[in-house]
Amino acid sequence: MTRNMKLILGAIALAGALAAAPALAQDSAISQARAAGVIGEQADGYIGVRPGQTASADLRARVDQLNIRRRAEYTTRAERNNATPNEMAASIVCVLFRERLREGEYYRDEAGQWREVTASAPAAVPSWCPAS
Amino acid sequence: MAKASAGLLLMGAATALTAGCIPLQVQAPDRPIEINLNVNIRHEVIVRLDDEARDLLNDNPDLFGDPR
Repeated sequence: MTRNMKLILGAIALAGALAAAPALAQDSAISQARAAGVIGEQADGYIGVRPGQTASADLRARVDQLNIRRRAEYTTRAERNNATPNEMAASIVCVLFRERLREGEYYRDEAGQWREVTASAPAAVPSWCPAS
Repeated sequence: MAKASAGLLLMGAATALTAGCIPLQVQAPDRPIEINLNVNIRHEVIVRLDDEARDLLNDNPDLFGDPR
């Protein structure tokens, strides 16, 4: 009885640890798709699937989920700062495009064009961003 | 006693009315200025939100990935 109880409790703890783990780092399906150029950051502050790329239903669902959670963060942080969610998203993009995009990744610029980040052409920061 | 409180109420109402008139007069010329400012506000908001944006990025590696 006690041994069984311990096993059950152990299983519950393990399941909990496994469920919590993905929250600490970015979903590997997302980071792989980003590195492969299937998805990328957009100037609107959300992730998008590049046209012409094959994305599984699972990946599309993950992208949607991520964007929903981003939207929630933009909304709460915007309210705290007397701004709109779009303004919060627009300011995230300034930091994200300037500091976070890696070579070989794709991003969708202000005009809606998808571009690759290369050593000679770093991401074009949108016009609304303050000069660094 | 009842008359006195009624008088006080009237005076209070009169004061409120007079006071109410003043902000109305001040607000009227403000409106067209607000519309013109809308163009500039956005850029200022983006500048103001810079710290919050950095916090948001650093606090949520699951949403935005790890720093380069």
